[in-house]
Amino acid sequence: MTSYTICVFTENTIGILNKITTIFTRRRINIESLTVSETERKGISRFTIVIRSESRDAVEKLVRQIRKIIEVLAVFGYLNEDIAYNEIALFKVSTPIGAKPLDIETINKTYKAWVVYWHLTYVIIQKTGTEEEIFEFFDYIKPHEILEFVRSGRVAVSKSPQTLVDYLPEAEWEYYQ
Amino acid sequence: MGFNENQTATIQGSEPVVSVAKPELINGSHAVIQSLIAEGVKTIFGYPGGAIMPVYDAIYDYQDQVNHILVRHEQGAAHAAEGFARITGEVGVCLVTSGPGATNLVTGIADAIIDSTPMVCIIGQVASHLLGTDAFQETDVMGITIPITKWNYQVTNADEIPDIIAKAFYIAKSGRPGPVLIDITKDAQQKLMTKPFVHKKVETLLSYHPRMAPKDEQLAAAAKLINQAKRPFLFVGHGVQIAGAEQELIRFVEKADIPVASTLLGLSSMSVDHPNYVGWLGMHGNYGTNVLTNQCDLIIAVGMRFDDRVTGDLSRYAKQAKIVHIEIDPAEIDKIMKADAPVVGDAKIALELLLPLVNENNHEAWKAEFKKYDVIEDEKITQPELAPTTEKIKMAEVIRTLSDKTKGEAVIVADVGQHQMMAARYYQFKKPSSYITSGGLGTMGYALPASFGAKVGAPDREVVAIIGDGCFQMTIQELGTIAQSGLPVKIIILNNNFLGMVRQWQQLFHQKRYSFVELQNPDFITIAKGFGIDGHTCAKREDLHASLDTMLASDKPYLLEVLVEKEENVFPMVPTGACVADIRLE
Repeated sequence: MTSYTICVFTENTIGILNKITTIFTRRRINIESLTVSETERKGISRFTIVIRSESRDAVEKLVRQIRKIIEVLAVFGYLNEDIAYNEIALFKVSTPIGAKPLDIETINKTYKAWVVYWHLTYVIIQKTGTEEEIFEFFDYIKPHEILEFVRSGRVAVSKSPQTLVDYLPEAEWEYYQ
Repeated sequence: MGFNENQTATIQGSEPVVSVAKPELINGSHAVIQSLIAEGVKTIFGYPGGAIMPVYDAIYDYQDQVNHILVRHEQGAAHAAEGFARITGEVGVCLVTSGPGATNLVTGIADAIIDSTPMVCIIGQVASHLLGTDAFQETDVMGITIPITKWNYQVTNADEIPDIIAKAFYIAKSGRPGPVLIDITKDAQQKLMTKPFVHKKVETLLSYHPRMAPKDEQLAAAAKLINQAKRPFLFVGHGVQIAGAEQELIRFVEKADIPVASTLLGLSSMSVDHPNYVGWLGMHGNYGTNVLTNQCDLIIAVGMRFDDRVTGDLSRYAKQAKIVHIEIDPAEIDKIMKADAPVVGDAKIALELLLPLVNENNHEAWKAEFKKYDVIEDEKITQPELAPTTEKIKMAEVIRTLSDKTKGEAVIVADVGQHQMMAARYYQFKKPSSYITSGGLGTMGYALPASFGAKVGAPDREVVAIIGDGCFQMTIQELGTIAQSGLPVKIIILNNNFLGMVRQWQQLFHQKRYSFVELQNPDFITIAKGFGIDGHTCAKREDLHASLDTMLASDKPYLLEVLVEKEENVFPMVPTGACVADIRLE
């Protein structure tokens, strides 16, 4: 299974999320993660959707189907090497009195993670990185008892020097090679 | 007192009455109708109800400009709009209420998207403050129709109406056509616009750019393959009719001398008399076209999508052939068949631009191969079907007699099943835009409403609906619409007292276990007469000519029921999962 990141640029209208996800549902493709936010251009949203697939062909077909949605301005499918990407994770870690104290220096220096909230019996640690880096830290912190753990979806930017503006407003369909 | 005031107001228009003569500020409902008129709409197929009543109140004022046809069920409105759109190439318009009105349209919308039919559906919705509250007749129409519309949009503000309707028409008709749904809340229909009504047609959108003219390099690559081919084979799909590319197609295939076969929805794009026309493709298509698909060296697919009913088993489909795929929808390229030379664009423009790039050629020997198969098919299937020795009439002879009597120039609106396949096989189409049927979705009940939609679109053409006894009972109530509108549609029921196609499959693949396919039918003629439509039952072969003559001579709607052989089968047949070359003749 290869990981693909699909970036979808859309007009920011009600229901567009539904219009996009239904394309995945119909083809029985599971969404691993999904994030949406407005781009540098007002009124234009950017979806970053991560899927796993054994077939590049299937992903290309999916991309073309998403492109058919009227509100969609452009769609790009990427392999991991094509993009700079990251996620953010929050860990609520138990720190009861008398327990082994957290090694904040290791957390900061080795794992580049930061405590963002202190409480008497727990702390909240924020860790930014790839999925792998987040799970490395997960394994490290696990002995301290993780009360809660949440990961954001992936955000990704293409390594290509082109920007969205290069594709817009003409956004002309390019035949996928 | 208050009640009476309201009464008066309702009769005159629930909002402060805005006369057409003084159109500075009109309400949303008037904006809907005026926008439709501005888009050139002359006919609306609809059914009123609570949430769309303000628009119905407005339409009352425009009866001299817009013809509203009151259907008997919203599904009928959708199919009628489809029939209209399929024959005219214009956008069919439906107007219905919220909730059940909208959900009754769903089958028709799904039919329209899969058969690329331009349609704008205007739906009433509960008032915006009630959205999401499970209000009376509230349904999440937007959610329901996302997968089956080309575009859908919910209007909650009267000011949006002209722009949204303009956008809807542009989207429905341009590129690969399809259905668009506009859900308008009741308050948006009722409120006055805050600015003067202006309807400006949409001609371009930021996020939607259907490509019309193909790229030069794609055309060059396609021409190269066409010029190299020894055994080229051109497939005509629905896209040829949608693009109006019939003349370009003829010039192209005559110059390069390429045999042409048609998909179900491509039928009638080329006259059956044309020397390059070799027949119909797919499950019940012709013998030669299917077998030789696996012997050609190049397929030039024009405006078609390699449906599974055309290809049969893909792993054994045209493996030897290269593919030129001319198609306006980029998502169809490589979807089923990998294209060696994709040509993304409008079929008419593509064929026009390809014409100077292809060499004049002569493929007599290759075209003659189809004739060999035709002889076998003719002897084994066609002749026995057309000159049967059975006591009961056979479907094929009804269709061919009709074809002869109408000189192959009628519009045939076929429903779904054996009669649909028989109509496709035995009607000798001579004129473009003459076969209207539900191809992709296979919607039983399509033909009766689609036929009067087609008659509205082509009042000067003879429109004949070919319907099975099962299909007829799915939308039988539309006889009321036909009677009320007086549209002289001719209806032929081929009655075999069976759901014939399912029965055929049960016979061939389920050891003749006829599971719920036999029908106890009503007296169709009495029913027709109850609706005020004249009709006649033809039970004997010797009456067939006279029966068809009577039907065709009528200047009113007419129902002809023909009692046909109960257990006849449609052949040739490529069974599901079989290879096209293994087409069965019996």
